[in-house]
Amino acid sequence: MKILNAIIAGVAQGSMIALVSLGYTMVYGILKLINFAHSEVFMMGAFFGLFLTVGFGLDTSPMFAGVAGTLAAMVLAGLLGALVEKVAYAPLRARSGGRSNTNTRITPLVTALGMSVLLQNLAQLLFTARYRSYPQLLPIENARTIVFVVAVVVMIALQFLVYGTWFGKAMRAVSVNVEAARLMGIRTGRVISMTFVTGSMLAALGGILYCLSQSQVYPTMGVVIGTRSFVAAVIGGIGSIPGAVLGGVLIGVIGELTKLTPYSGLQDVIIFTVLIVVLLVRPSGLLGKAGIEKV
Amino acid sequence: MPRIVRGVLITALVVVVLIWLESGFGASPGFQTVLPDAAWRQLVLFAMVNVVIALSLNVINGMAGQFSIGHAGFVGIGAYTGALVAGHLHVRLGSGDPQFANSFIVMPLVLLASGTIAALFGLLVGLPSLRLRGDYLAIVTLGFAEIFRLVIATAQTGGTAEGSVAKFLASLGGQNGYAGPEGNGVPQYAGPFWIFGSVIVATLIAWRIKFSGWGRALRALREDEIAASAVGVDPTRYKVVSFVIAAAGAGVAGGLFASMHDGSPTVQPDSFTFVQSFDAITMVILGGSGSVSGAIVGGVFVTVTVKLIEQLQGLESIQAFRADHPSIDLNALRMVVYAAVLIGLMILRPEGLFGEREIFRRKRPKKGGGDPDNNAAQKSQSTQESTQDSENSTPADKESTESASSKQATSETLTTAEGTAS
Amino acid sequence: MKIEHPNRPAPKAEAGTPLLTVDNLAVSYGGIKALKGISLNVNRGEIVAMIGANGAGKTTTLKTIARLLPISSGKINYDGRDLGPVSAESLVEYGVSLVPEGRGIFPNLTVRENLELGAWNHKSKSVIVETEMEVVRLFPRIGERVKQVAGTLSGGEQQMLAIARALMARPAMLLLDEPSLGIAPRLVADIFEAVARIAEAGTTILLVEQNTRLALKYSRRAYVLRTGEIAMSGNSKDLADNEEIKAAYLGG
Repeated sequence: MKILNAIIAGVAQGSMIALVSLGYTMVYGILKLINFAHSEVFMMGAFFGLFLTVGFGLDTSPMFAGVAGTLAAMVLAGLLGALVEKVAYAPLRARSGGRSNTNTRITPLVTALGMSVLLQNLAQLLFTARYRSYPQLLPIENARTIVFVVAVVVMIALQFLVYGTWFGKAMRAVSVNVEAARLMGIRTGRVISMTFVTGSMLAALGGILYCLSQSQVYPTMGVVIGTRSFVAAVIGGIGSIPGAVLGGVLIGVIGELTKLTPYSGLQDVIIFTVLIVVLLVRPSGLLGKAGIEKV
Repeated sequence: MPRIVRGVLITALVVVVLIWLESGFGASPGFQTVLPDAAWRQLVLFAMVNVVIALSLNVINGMAGQFSIGHAGFVGIGAYTGALVAGHLHVRLGSGDPQFANSFIVMPLVLLASGTIAALFGLLVGLPSLRLRGDYLAIVTLGFAEIFRLVIATAQTGGTAEGSVAKFLASLGGQNGYAGPEGNGVPQYAGPFWIFGSVIVATLIAWRIKFSGWGRALRALREDEIAASAVGVDPTRYKVVSFVIAAAGAGVAGGLFASMHDGSPTVQPDSFTFVQSFDAITMVILGGSGSVSGAIVGGVFVTVTVKLIEQLQGLESIQAFRADHPSIDLNALRMVVYAAVLIGLMILRPEGLFGEREIFRRKRPKKGGGDPDNNAAQKSQSTQESTQDSENSTPADKESTESASSKQATSETLTTAEGTAS
Repeated sequence: MKIEHPNRPAPKAEAGTPLLTVDNLAVSYGGIKALKGISLNVNRGEIVAMIGANGAGKTTTLKTIARLLPISSGKINYDGRDLGPVSAESLVEYGVSLVPEGRGIFPNLTVRENLELGAWNHKSKSVIVETEMEVVRLFPRIGERVKQVAGTLSGGEQQMLAIARALMARPAMLLLDEPSLGIAPRLVADIFEAVARIAEAGTTILLVEQNTRLALKYSRRAYVLRTGEIAMSGNSKDLADNEEIKAAYLGG
């Protein structure tokens, strides 16, 4: 019975993680870049949600404030993601001009790391390390179900976006051949920006849902969830949207099950170990395609 | 004067200076005379340790072009190993105050142990991971560093541990840190002699690596792995060996850190988090990955700013400032500035301060190898060499000439590497 | 097949007058001077070929015309318009389409999705459907496989798809980069026959080819490139009989 509860909790937790994983996987799919700053967008999204929900009149009309705050936070987070891309990643692409050797691949990594550190400490400066509580707008029993349902709806919508719209086609084209995509008249810069925006919006939503069911907001909250989401994306097959979902749920369930054992403090150790094993044994992940590993 | 004699004399001079610094030949230690303030001494020693870290990371990040973001893990492994060895030897030597004479027994063993164990872990991590591409390798290195830290930090120290492994981990003190076998602190055997000595040796080794056929092969690998492997440079072998060397260097730094004069008496897992790995990366990149001088400058610079902030926090004026603005975390500010500078560097000047250049030019190498003797003690006239040209060109024309000359350089380095490598 | 696109005016240049003019074009990248000042023109309705050894600069020329590479000096003029400030993404709106070297199809998308992407103005669905029908008539093998994932097509079929996809934009001018490279000889013949029919319909073609014999057979005029410069030019028939050309590129 305990195990069943843990699994259910894990699925709920996992669907929230999956929302963040989607952002990692989408950006990696299109740019072959690990956007380390993504976990910080998750965290900022939660902060935005907190301030905006309060700002929209939490006491007078909680329902409205909650929904409006969430949507506004998603928009802000999307803008933040686009800003990060424009400021830090786009200039590197322009400079490397499509060449790809070790030097051009390390620089984006360092930049991504730098962005992550920057955002995290910026939040620390602006908001202090204080833990704040998020307004509990959802009744506790329903919180989990709502999180799960929202996550599922989002994923279906995303799947439709990628496979059923022209923009999605353009995204998939850019992810395999940027030059050819340009020849088709596709504004690749815009496609890449929009990918960041979409991923960031999902991360913000994930952050808000996380706070609605777990309730505390603090500048380093992105680190743990970000790491888990990233691992989830890799396990599921980075670049694959269904993979991100599957990975997220798996990580969520593993996490909850681990809490039942005496090794609960080692949750992250287990998660890292799983990551390393997957990368060594099957780097393309569960649902990823085993492609030619470009050096 | 023949080169050998000159080398021996210089080495002897250096050794005498170092001994003077540590022991003063019976009078008060030279180091204390030069720097009466303990805080400054701590800063300098810590900076030297960071330089060793930067030099070691430079081998893998800079010269080989592989991205490791878990370097703090190897430093930590070295630190714990060193602390264990120093602590137990100290007990055997009768406890009490660490004697300089005894340090000649303890420190070599400490350094050997920390370097070797860290190197072993480096092999363990590197062997399976180095065939992964850049971003994945970075994540794996981070993962290993975190696993190491978490395993030690979450060990059940309350005496409830079962099994020899758990008991051993518990004895390392968990989150509070390891304070030696008798719990009264890790004995501090690493004074200026050992620390400055290690920095000098590390610099020489790094210099030697960079300007050898081996180093050229690494650079060829970094420029174009496929081309390099096509001419017989086995990428995985070179990457793994560089990784192991880097890990060993980090381990040695950790051993020094654990047992440092005026340092912290405990070895704590919180000293080896991602923040420290990020600082190490900053040191290498700021200075210029691939440049030995750059690693040194970067190491000193980062240490100074870190410690400076600590000192500043103690100043009255700053305390007043903080009283007015209690929420401003100076460390967070430092990280924001660092990160911004790093990002700016990547966009505007990714080669860092020095690029691949060095402060001291090396002499023209003889055929088939490099000039092994240290140039650090003297500026030498150097005749321009074509490889040197591409390394020393100014950043402005580096963009346009880099690919062309590096293409030439790559083919040249490949032919030389073929001859001198393996 | 029709080549005018309803959303784009027809070219101003008359048949037989220059549609594309390249004037003293120089291109350098990576410190290497790839093109040292070449000049050529393509008249409306012509097939013009660029031949020469590997590395002579043929692909560089096409890519620069397609604005994938920056111009160091010189001018490219299409239908009276300077292409210098035009970006690669906008080029298709002017009616110039490049079929890149190596096909450049999207292997993860289906054949139909590839074609749909080629039709740059994706809002006019009827035009897309109509164009797809015409393109499929030209390349029946593609038509049989519209639902197939493009990565599973053979090399020759992928080349056909690449050309078909470029045609979806209804270009007035088609740039073809090494269509025969790595393709089985029988399919090569089919492809070139299709190219001939495309030209007959009125599309102007600039063709880069390693296979000198085919290039000279199907084109009206040709330019010979050597290390970034035009070494020779003239009517393809005359070039095919030229002793130097025969020795260098046609196996004596």
